Amino acid sequence: MKTIMIVDDSRTVRESLKFFLKEGGYNVLEGSDGREALDILVNTEADLVITDVNMPNLDGLGLIEELRKSANHKFTPILVLTTESQQSIMEKGKSLGATGWIVKPFDSEKVLAVVKKVIGE
Amino acid sequence: MEESSEDKTTQYLTFTINNETYALKVINVKEVLEFTTVSKVPRMPDFMRGIINLRGSVVPVVDLKMKFGMGETEKAIDTSIIVTEVLLDDELVTMGLLTDSVKEVIEMSDEEIEPTPYIGTKIDTDFIKGMGRKNDIFLIVLNIEKVLTVSEINMVSAQEEKAE
Amino acid sequence: MNQFKETFKEEAYELLGNLEDLLMEMEEHPEDPETIAAVFRSIHTIKGSASMFDYNGISGFTHSVESILDGVREGSMNVSKELIDLTLLSRDHITNMLNAEEDVTPEFQLVSEDIISKLNTLAGIKTEPLVPVSPSQVEDKKQKDTVFNTFRINFKPSPEIFMSGTNPLLLLKELKDFGECHVISHTSDIPSLDKYDPLSSYIRWEIVLVSDRNTDDIKDVFIFLDPSSVVEVSVVADWHDILNPGSGKKLGEILMEKGLIKREDLENVLDSRKKVGEVLVENGLVSSSDIKSALEEQHITKSLKQTMSDKSTTSIRVKSEKLDYLVDSVGELVTAQARLSQLALQFKQSSLISLAEQIERLTSDLRDNAMSLRMVPMGTTFSRFKRLVRDLSSSLDKRIQLVTLGGDTELDKNVIEKLNDPLVHIIRNSIDHGIEAPEDREKSGKPPCGTITLEADYSGANVILKIIDDGKGLDKNAIIRKAVEKGIVGPDSQLSDEEIFKLIFMPGFSTAAKVTNVSGRGVGMDVVKRQIDSLGGIISIESEQGMGTTFSLNLPLTLAIIEGLLVSISGEMYVFPLSSVQACIELTSREREDHGKKRMIEYRGSLIPYIRLREMFLDDSELPEREHIVIVQAENSLAGLVVDEVIGDHQTVIKNMGKLYKGLSYITGATILGDGSVAIILDVNRISALARKESL
Repeated sequence: MKTIMIVDDSRTVRESLKFFLKEGGYNVLEGSDGREALDILVNTEADLVITDVNMPNLDGLGLIEELRKSANHKFTPILVLTTESQQSIMEKGKSLGATGWIVKPFDSEKVLAVVKKVIGE
Repeated sequence: MEESSEDKTTQYLTFTINNETYALKVINVKEVLEFTTVSKVPRMPDFMRGIINLRGSVVPVVDLKMKFGMGETEKAIDTSIIVTEVLLDDELVTMGLLTDSVKEVIEMSDEEIEPTPYIGTKIDTDFIKGMGRKNDIFLIVLNIEKVLTVSEINMVSAQEEKAE
Repeated sequence: MNQFKETFKEEAYELLGNLEDLLMEMEEHPEDPETIAAVFRSIHTIKGSASMFDYNGISGFTHSVESILDGVREGSMNVSKELIDLTLLSRDHITNMLNAEEDVTPEFQLVSEDIISKLNTLAGIKTEPLVPVSPSQVEDKKQKDTVFNTFRINFKPSPEIFMSGTNPLLLLKELKDFGECHVISHTSDIPSLDKYDPLSSYIRWEIVLVSDRNTDDIKDVFIFLDPSSVVEVSVVADWHDILNPGSGKKLGEILMEKGLIKREDLENVLDSRKKVGEVLVENGLVSSSDIKSALEEQHITKSLKQTMSDKSTTSIRVKSEKLDYLVDSVGELVTAQARLSQLALQFKQSSLISLAEQIERLTSDLRDNAMSLRMVPMGTTFSRFKRLVRDLSSSLDKRIQLVTLGGDTELDKNVIEKLNDPLVHIIRNSIDHGIEAPEDREKSGKPPCGTITLEADYSGANVILKIIDDGKGLDKNAIIRKAVEKGIVGPDSQLSDEEIFKLIFMPGFSTAAKVTNVSGRGVGMDVVKRQIDSLGGIISIESEQGMGTTFSLNLPLTLAIIEGLLVSISGEMYVFPLSSVQACIELTSREREDHGKKRMIEYRGSLIPYIRLREMFLDDSELPEREHIVIVQAENSLAGLVVDEVIGDHQTVIKNMGKLYKGLSYITGATILGDGSVAIILDVNRISALARKESL
């Protein structure tokens, strides 16, 4: 079973994502901000990281940078949660090494389609 | 049409039947054909001469002379069929009129057309719009919509029922 | 899950509470765009999360409310007291749905529809049925007519593609889900092991994809790709090309199209009589994988022609007027061709005659093809009657099932259109008079549920359509009683079953003891018969008391062109439909005198009455020395129609004679003959009926 790390400061988003992904047959890890996620990921493997951008302590873009510098997450796919208006954030994320993005609001279908696209079933 | 301005004129096509000149609004005229073979439609009144082939369409031909009770139109060198478009019962119907000869297109204003004088004519005057005069010639202006009366159209349509 | 819904509810209650305040504010400042935007946003957000968390009732309703409010936001609708009232009502309705265990219930649906229709009226929009919107349904709406294209996709990932966590193989896999997909890997860029960087990508792929998706859908697959990766999508053959038989591209052309070789290269190679691909590789112009992929593309396009053309024929839609126009034009062509053949024979020039014969063959092919285009299966019409049967049987407290057979039988769409009314009438009749009430059926040992079967099948150039019920059958005695009562037949007449059944087609005949709202509308079976007659069809009945009744309609495949028999009467030409002609017999003046007033002629051992058409046509000119009797099948019996001459077969293009002759049902129409003159097409059934009536 593939493992996905969800990073978001909003409990509603985390819970809904977790629900969709579990329904989709994935194992889920959670972090409420970039720092917390990074602490977990340092010695935990994950097949995918889905991260929000605006978070306290360490934001999404910072998290991407850190992960790409790390030894074990150089190639781990990373999806950024954005809203449609945040074109610049998508580009920024890409340039830092993000794999793709999920546009908010999302539903189960959308989330699973994007996840499937980047890590397969 | 009803607004009577002095110079408002309408174009008419004139033609003859039994040496009398008739006029018909050009707007109703689609074209003029030389006499052609008319196929008889059985069990129809005599003035319904039959049908012709107009470039692939079937068009009925009415013998006006016979309709006016003046005998059958004989084929002669000037015999023509005026193909008209007439509104019958809200339906645009193409109909050929058999005439002795077709003359010319003239312009007349409504003022130049006088109502039909009440004289003891044999023919039903409903289809005559009035009498006109042009170049010292008297014209009978036809009201083409009324040439076939409602009862005649119905008679044609209901002919079989009557027979049953 | 529950806990998760709770989170959504908490959020939604918060938004709804806020919405109430916003609406109050809106009432005070109706013009304030920010308040309007905030109201819109609240509904929008609820809609979004509701659909996310499968609150379909709420999401469907808020979707509709949102689109109305969008109009307000766009300025096409004003903020009014009514609007605020209705939006408040909407807010309460959403709250109620949120409170409830289940938000999709008929009650909620009714309230939703009510509010939406009021909102739509306010906005001046026609109300459409409200459907709960779930993501998958939204997707469905996007689907368009299926059109298959062949795409060539060139995919060259940047060497550092792995650095962004992208797995290119997953993208190829995704493409495979789009349709028929052929992937060719180009590995020539992979360096030797000493220079090989395992973190870099060296492969490029060419993909030939046949899919009903469009270019944008395909580009979307690569949406996350970094800018230095290359993705080129081009359409190499749209469905049109695929269908076009001559469209196959040559290998050289494909390579040129891809920019791999130049025209000069190709021309040079073509001179040497070897295989193009081999020479190009030998000369180092292209790599063998390039040739392989080009060949693959060529192969796919070719092999797809067949399969795709099958799929595409079902997807080409043509306006029916266009078909009518085509059939009309073909009709003209048939007429012109007949004239040509006639002229050719007159000129007696062999080259002209053979050309005319060739054109005759082509015209006949073209005619058959054009007619076949207008053929549509009966099935769609059949299924329309399911509803009729269901509704009528329940209104009469009967239980009836409709069975349909031969729905794929094809008929000219114009015939099918004109069949609708008579079929409705016959089926109503079967439901009303045929099938018994369930308790009566059980008493007579039948299953309580009656069956009406609609069956269509080909029979030569005709289609036989049967409407079969397993009801009580026709009551022969009742029919005779009624017919005698109405003065249709004499009290002592000896009638065969067939003749008795035919009585119900007489005008004014109806066996129903009372007039019900189902079949008694003042129109009897005579109208049905007339409608079938006007289609050139024949209707007949078989019935057995207690077992049921079968109506059989024998219908021509088409109305536009028929095979006819050309005859002349008193110098005028007439056409009989060849399908009703049985034989032609000579009638000499001597026989004429022998027969006297008893006009009967022997045909195949029985005496058949004949009618002189020129008499019917009130033509009193002198009779020719020799006449001919055309034996026709009319009204289920044989009759002779006397004409002057029988000319021969005629391809008859039926022309409408227009309003003035509409009432003459003994005339089917007119047709134009080879010499440009017009012949009348006679309806054999009506002519015989008329003759019988007049001789009475």
